[in-house]
Amino acid sequence: MNFETVIGIEIHCELKTHTKMFSAGPSSFGEKPNSCVNEIDLGMPGCLPSLNRHAVELALRACMGTHCEIDPLLKFDRKNYYYSDLPKGFQITQQFHPIGKNGYIEIQVENETKKIRLNRIHMEEDTAKQFHTSTCSMIDFNRAGTPLIEIVSEPDMRSGAEAAAYVEELKNMLFYLGVSDCKMEEGSMRCDVNVSIRPEGSDTFGTKTEIKNLNSISNVQKAIDYEVSRQKELLLNGQSVDQETRRFDEATKTTVLMRKKEGSVDYKFFPEPNIFPVLLDRAWIDSIQKNLPELPAQRKEKYMEQYGLSEYDASTLIANKELSDFYDEVVKHTSEYKLASNWCMVELMAVLNKENRSFEENVCVPEHLAEMINMIVKGEISSKQAKTVFEEVVKGKDPKKVVEEKGMKQLSDPNEILKLVTQVLDSNEQAIVDFKNGKDRAVGALVGQIMKLSKGQANPKLANQILMEELKKR
Amino acid sequence: MEKFSKEMWKKLANQVMFDLSDQECEELSQEFEIYLKQLDLLNKINTENVEEMVYPFDNPTSYIRDDEHVDVISQEDAMKNVPFKNENYVIVPKVVK
Amino acid sequence: MRFSDCKNDVRKNVELCDKLTHLSQEKLNAVVTFIDPEEQIQEVEKKDSSLPLYGIPVAIKDNFNTKGIRTTASSRILDNYIPIYDATVVKKLKEAGAVCLVKTSMDELGMGGTNLNAYTGKVNNPYDVTRISGGSSGGSAALVAEGVVPCALGTDTGDSIRKPASYCGVVGMKPTYGRISRYGVIPYASSLDHVGFFTTCVEDAARMLKVCAGRDDHDLTSSYEPVPDYESQLNSDLHGKKIAVLENVMSSIQDQRIVDNFNEMVEKLKKRGAIVEKVTMDEALLQTLLPVYLIIANAEACANHSNLDGVRFGMREEGENLEEIMIHSRTKGFSSAVRKRFVLGSYSLFVENQDKLFRKAQKVRRVLVDAFSKVLDEYDCVMASAAPTIAPHPEDSVGEKMSDTYLVAENFMVLGNMSGYPSLTLPSGFVENCPIGINLTCKAFDEQTLLNIAKAMEEESGLANKTAGGAR
Repeated sequence: MNFETVIGIEIHCELKTHTKMFSAGPSSFGEKPNSCVNEIDLGMPGCLPSLNRHAVELALRACMGTHCEIDPLLKFDRKNYYYSDLPKGFQITQQFHPIGKNGYIEIQVENETKKIRLNRIHMEEDTAKQFHTSTCSMIDFNRAGTPLIEIVSEPDMRSGAEAAAYVEELKNMLFYLGVSDCKMEEGSMRCDVNVSIRPEGSDTFGTKTEIKNLNSISNVQKAIDYEVSRQKELLLNGQSVDQETRRFDEATKTTVLMRKKEGSVDYKFFPEPNIFPVLLDRAWIDSIQKNLPELPAQRKEKYMEQYGLSEYDASTLIANKELSDFYDEVVKHTSEYKLASNWCMVELMAVLNKENRSFEENVCVPEHLAEMINMIVKGEISSKQAKTVFEEVVKGKDPKKVVEEKGMKQLSDPNEILKLVTQVLDSNEQAIVDFKNGKDRAVGALVGQIMKLSKGQANPKLANQILMEELKKR
Repeated sequence: MEKFSKEMWKKLANQVMFDLSDQECEELSQEFEIYLKQLDLLNKINTENVEEMVYPFDNPTSYIRDDEHVDVISQEDAMKNVPFKNENYVIVPKVVK
Repeated sequence: MRFSDCKNDVRKNVELCDKLTHLSQEKLNAVVTFIDPEEQIQEVEKKDSSLPLYGIPVAIKDNFNTKGIRTTASSRILDNYIPIYDATVVKKLKEAGAVCLVKTSMDELGMGGTNLNAYTGKVNNPYDVTRISGGSSGGSAALVAEGVVPCALGTDTGDSIRKPASYCGVVGMKPTYGRISRYGVIPYASSLDHVGFFTTCVEDAARMLKVCAGRDDHDLTSSYEPVPDYESQLNSDLHGKKIAVLENVMSSIQDQRIVDNFNEMVEKLKKRGAIVEKVTMDEALLQTLLPVYLIIANAEACANHSNLDGVRFGMREEGENLEEIMIHSRTKGFSSAVRKRFVLGSYSLFVENQDKLFRKAQKVRRVLVDAFSKVLDEYDCVMASAAPTIAPHPEDSVGEKMSDTYLVAENFMVLGNMSGYPSLTLPSGFVENCPIGINLTCKAFDEQTLLNIAKAMEEESGLANKTAGGAR
């Protein structure tokens, strides 16, 4: 029997804000335990929530990037349960009125574009972080209250590869939009996957399992692939798939049972009485839409249509937003788009990789790189010299200064070169004779002497050209 | 609506993280009878097309806090009331999620 | 004791009130925690003596967070809780020059109307210690009534300021929902909770309101409505004022002495030029007041107090695992009455029950408020006796259990909480040497009219600054 795989994904994404969703406590990562909190984050008696404007803006950006319908009337609800990482004993979320719904994104799988629908995007707050020793659990409330959006897809994906492409596309988009730093390994983007299979042609859903907290895109695919084969085996052996929560085990590359789902938990959702509905200003929403950062797809199109880059180059650039941002800065100062992409993608990345530096630590000034590229094109430095210059430019130096300091400036003044040519020809009578006799090799030797005389600074092309003209005159 | 056994009350209580004694369950059963009778009063009121009143006033606000101002307390204050702590962590018996 | 009794000598005021509250404790049992005022005295002495509450000692209900000062909400579970922040209104009082003197007893977490359900025990009525003070702001009401402090903060979710004000014979006011910030107030039910206060006269209430009121960005439900100078604008001229007497309440009161007292006041108001008319609301609708209130309040309360789990603060009882710690802490930490209410609250929030319980109650709340606001469309003020009896003895009190039959007159003041409209109780006389009171409710944010009408009534009753301990 052939089976069809059905996958839906829930993604929790920490928003890039200074303060928390419902308190002015600082958002942080890696600080001392319980040092980035205030009374609200600790759920102290008598505290009330206050909504973070930037968090709302970032949620709106996510909605806009994913073509969601936006509800300008914000409403919040309480999700009630007891746990040590949940300070208030309830989480403030948007159960009944998500900020965005009915969106979609497009993914590319095997050169085909597929639309994946989003059910909803809603805002909520994160829980505290717990560390487990052999005997106890240690709670750090720094993360408690951090703004989150939850992005819920429709069950539109049909393979692990599609799921991975979906997560990749969303991750890239949210990063470009400045919504989140999307670090899956640090937990700022967390992925829960629902997987079920059904006989091909069936339109009812099979029983699904949920795989929690997948910390990389490749694990998303691996976990799904394993889970699908596990479910197939069960069904083919006449067994049934149980509704359960599983986790991906890195070591064995399998999914492991966490808990069975016995009926659904009743979270007793009800409207949060302490937050009146907030009506967002239409003009504000419009201005966010207007100033929405460029999406990767838009950028790719620009690279190919306007800059004439290849599909491969364009894709390589946008896959790394920092690199792409850098490239965009470079091409503000040069119109050598192709050359600039090579220097950015190949040379710059090679240096950073070699020195094991991240892009955040990059000190190369885009304007400098652009200048260097322009100098090459204008013939002020040779491509060979450029390599030497680049070694300094990458350290943050101005190429003009480098050239000056190293005395590398290419000699491109025809009058100066003519003087050199004349000087060389005057002292090489034999070479002129050889040339006249058809020995082309003589030219090479003459050029070599001109270069030597100019200490390598003469523009070889120009020197060659003037030399030929002068030889003919002799 | 259903009538509740002692066990049912205890289960309900445990869901909101406390116990009830047998006597408390007994009292609750009696009070619940009255509760149900009072619900009949509620059901006499026609609420067709009436929206739930969640807040005393319905006009929405437009205030949202700016993300700039940070309001933090000291680690010492944060830990001051914690009954069981170690190295500035709040400690509970090991929880397995 | 009233504000004008307090002289500009901060130390003298505070030391007097400190002495008097200590002396009153044996009689009233109204105080949970005495605050050493020395530091505050020194602070206030540095301040401008023209501040509205300069050197005025105040009592604070024990559900207001007071930084560094134990705040228990009269619950065992918070017996060791030392707040790390001040409630907004506590900050405002201090900024206005007040000195916080004591934290006062209340029904546990505000859940009750007798003050019998406080961890520190019954609060005694200053006029007859065998009777109750009423609750849940019983400690605050009793201290102001005894005359040992000029004012006290309270909170009011059903009638928790206005009922004890009636039983103790003081002015008790809760302004419009959102008029005073709730930030830092340990809640009962967020959509019904109001901050308010007790004073011995209307003039002092006007001043207190000005100090406490105003927008607070920490409380998203607090209002931007400008805060007028209520005190200087007090005007007891009633000509043309339209007052509705809520007949459903008055006709259900058995004690003729209370009805007579009320009717005498009505006649006096008419003589002052007020138009006073009887209004009857749909009785079947008013019969739902208590169940609607209880369903909403219990549900919100159960969620609100989920943070009391023994993990980050408060009394922790040990256990083998997290769940046991929470269960043991909460079982021991909450009284029987509170736990039973939480169970009912939780029950009404279950998915399968919400439509017929919680949401139904919220819908009936709207029907009730719509009907009430129709009355206020026609009138400036709704008036009725604040309670059908004088303060009862504990055994006669309605108690914390739900009863089969109840009087609209016992519960009508919750209309002020459901609607959010400003409401005030002031003393109108005595029956068996125990105080009785009249309740007034006005339109949203029309506290000035509320205070003005109260002022006129106070002039007629002659009970301004009346205290059990006599004038001091």
